[in-house]
Amino acid sequence: MKRSMQKGASLLLMGMMLALVVTACGGNNAKNNGANSGGATQGADGGGSSGKKTELLFWSPFSGSDGPFMKKIVDKYNSSQDKYKVNFVIQPNGEYYKQLDVALSTGKEQPDLMIMHVDQVPTYQSKEQLQPVDELAAAAGINPADFAEAPVKYATIDNKLYTIPLDIHPVVMYYNKDLFEKAGITAPPANRAEFDAAVLKLTDKSKGVYGYVVPTLWPQQFIFPSLVWQNGGELWNGTDVAYNSPEAVEMVQWLRDMVDKGVSPANVQQDGENTLFLQGKNAIQFNGPWMKSQFDEAGLNYGVAVMPQIGKVKQAIYAGSHGFVVPKAVTDSTKLAGIGDFLKYVSGNSLDWAESGQAVASKTVMDSAEFKAMEFQSTVSQSFSSVQFAPNVLNWGTIIEPVWGELSSALLGKKSPQQAMDDAVAKSRQAMK
Amino acid sequence: MKTLWTSRLTSFLFVLPYLAAFALFLLFPILYGFVISLQDFELLSAAHPFVGLRNYMTIFTPGTYENSIFFRGLWTTLQFVLYSVPLLIITGLGIAMLVNALPAKLRGLFRTFYFLPYALSASVMAVIWLMMFDTNAGFINSLLQKLGLTGIPWLTATPWAWIALVLTTLWWTIGFNMIIFVNALNEVPEDYYEAASMDGANAWKRFVSITLPSIRPVMLFVMITSTIASFNIYAQPFLLTRGGPGDTTRVLLINVLDQAFVRKDIGSASAMAILMALLIMLVSIVQFRLTNRKEKV
Repeated sequence: MKRSMQKGASLLLMGMMLALVVTACGGNNAKNNGANSGGATQGADGGGSSGKKTELLFWSPFSGSDGPFMKKIVDKYNSSQDKYKVNFVIQPNGEYYKQLDVALSTGKEQPDLMIMHVDQVPTYQSKEQLQPVDELAAAAGINPADFAEAPVKYATIDNKLYTIPLDIHPVVMYYNKDLFEKAGITAPPANRAEFDAAVLKLTDKSKGVYGYVVPTLWPQQFIFPSLVWQNGGELWNGTDVAYNSPEAVEMVQWLRDMVDKGVSPANVQQDGENTLFLQGKNAIQFNGPWMKSQFDEAGLNYGVAVMPQIGKVKQAIYAGSHGFVVPKAVTDSTKLAGIGDFLKYVSGNSLDWAESGQAVASKTVMDSAEFKAMEFQSTVSQSFSSVQFAPNVLNWGTIIEPVWGELSSALLGKKSPQQAMDDAVAKSRQAMK
Repeated sequence: MKTLWTSRLTSFLFVLPYLAAFALFLLFPILYGFVISLQDFELLSAAHPFVGLRNYMTIFTPGTYENSIFFRGLWTTLQFVLYSVPLLIITGLGIAMLVNALPAKLRGLFRTFYFLPYALSASVMAVIWLMMFDTNAGFINSLLQKLGLTGIPWLTATPWAWIALVLTTLWWTIGFNMIIFVNALNEVPEDYYEAASMDGANAWKRFVSITLPSIRPVMLFVMITSTIASFNIYAQPFLLTRGGPGDTTRVLLINVLDQAFVRKDIGSASAMAILMALLIMLVSIVQFRLTNRKEKV
């Protein structure tokens, strides 16, 4: 009897453990949904008179909460016409380019259309993996002027456009409304003077509340470049890495000063600033629009604003951007026409995508009353005029990689800002060879 | 005679499924990886010209990018192996002995407790320990502060980052070593201990003279599998410290994967992986030799 009880307890534990593991894997299930729904639609079309549909394989990295929104757009498109069928595939976000590289290099099960971050476009273009979309867009009646300028300009190489932008995700400022109210701050800070004053007022050591908790790792990938550009510095000066310039070093010092002034605690670990933000102990954080759903779920009373201009020279905001690209290997004219047709549909109907929290790049949608009514997304889109993307340099990801470690050393007080940035430049130059 | 032949065939049939899986999923990828390491294999380029040992030579040429990421990463990984392997063995054996000393009705329960974390995925492990270690909002530091002590920068300063990574690894993987040791301990005949007790051997003497020699083959197995596992360290630093502070915990596999999929230089990354595999084999052989020699004495 006792023995069976003990066995029962073990089994129960095992069950709990399995449940945990299964939940952990839950995120991946979305991957299959797309493919399944594709099959279902096909079955329903059996009675159509138009004969065989042209199928388009569409890859995306939307394995997060954004996946269902894109799927909705695809589903709506598929049922809106009967010439083409878009098969929507979601690859896990962290594995996306790995999977894509393998598919492109082996030539097996290549997508006909895929999502690509705009700062990846020059690399894939230079490896001759992409085709210009000018003709395809013209034939479908898509005008590049109808999109935000920044991604169009960035993805125009030798006067040819290589992407149709979907969204832009700049770093934005999130702030805790309750803490702002308590500190008597009525408007989010918009420049360095306002910011420096606000974070001092917001800090209340007795309650463990900090004005601005400085992240030492991610998402510095978005914050640091913005600050450097704002201060008139460059990451890349055209021939060399340039993040040890006085302009860049001053910004590292500014971040470190937050810790020295007690506005931020020391030794902030990965996600430490976000944990404190969720606990109502960090008043401000700079992060991407993708954080919205997490804050909503946590029931936080937060506001969003354009990142303030901390640097002395100009407003500049680092951003990523999703766009549609077409592999060079797609030559079938029916397919190309289908891709154009689908992209035309998306650019007019990307409001569903905005619902996911993203600020869309289509001006038609941005100008619509529905989009303007979305407070969060329309605030994010106010950054669009000052967004900048990663420098267009081959292997930029590995070249800038040493910066993140060295920057964290400086922010943790292990190295002086100048020393850290000099070391980063030395390591980066090695990666450029 | 015929029965022998049939029995051999039957044995072979039992091994066959594993052999097929081994060849398909391990042997072939390793050989293919070696072939790739001899090519200028840019992931997105159509042509992969054969370059002989050039990828290897670049890794061994001081001053190159490949040289710096390989050897810096290797040194970091070696540090982790040094810190973690002794503790993985000692803690595994310790917990196994503790569990075995429990009353029979509790044994199964505690075995399950200790084995539980082994079944968790890396991301779940990371979420748990990020919350435990957080400098300013974490569970451990809150506890320390309640006791009037100052918080510890677990993931942002050395040596704490190493301590945190080893602790996490112990918690996450110790269940495997424990189970192996539990079975080994149960194999030691009870009468050895009885006889030794009668001769007046104390607990420590019994442990050194009976337990350790009896479980030596298992000890060797645990030592080698733990060493291999520790060489393959990736998820803990990648998710917890992101290689920091600075690049002090940026282990070799992080750099190899960067080389392969960010820099897209599969040829050079394969060469690094092959070198790493050779080193692991070498270390395993040395461990095997050393332990076996002891047995002869």
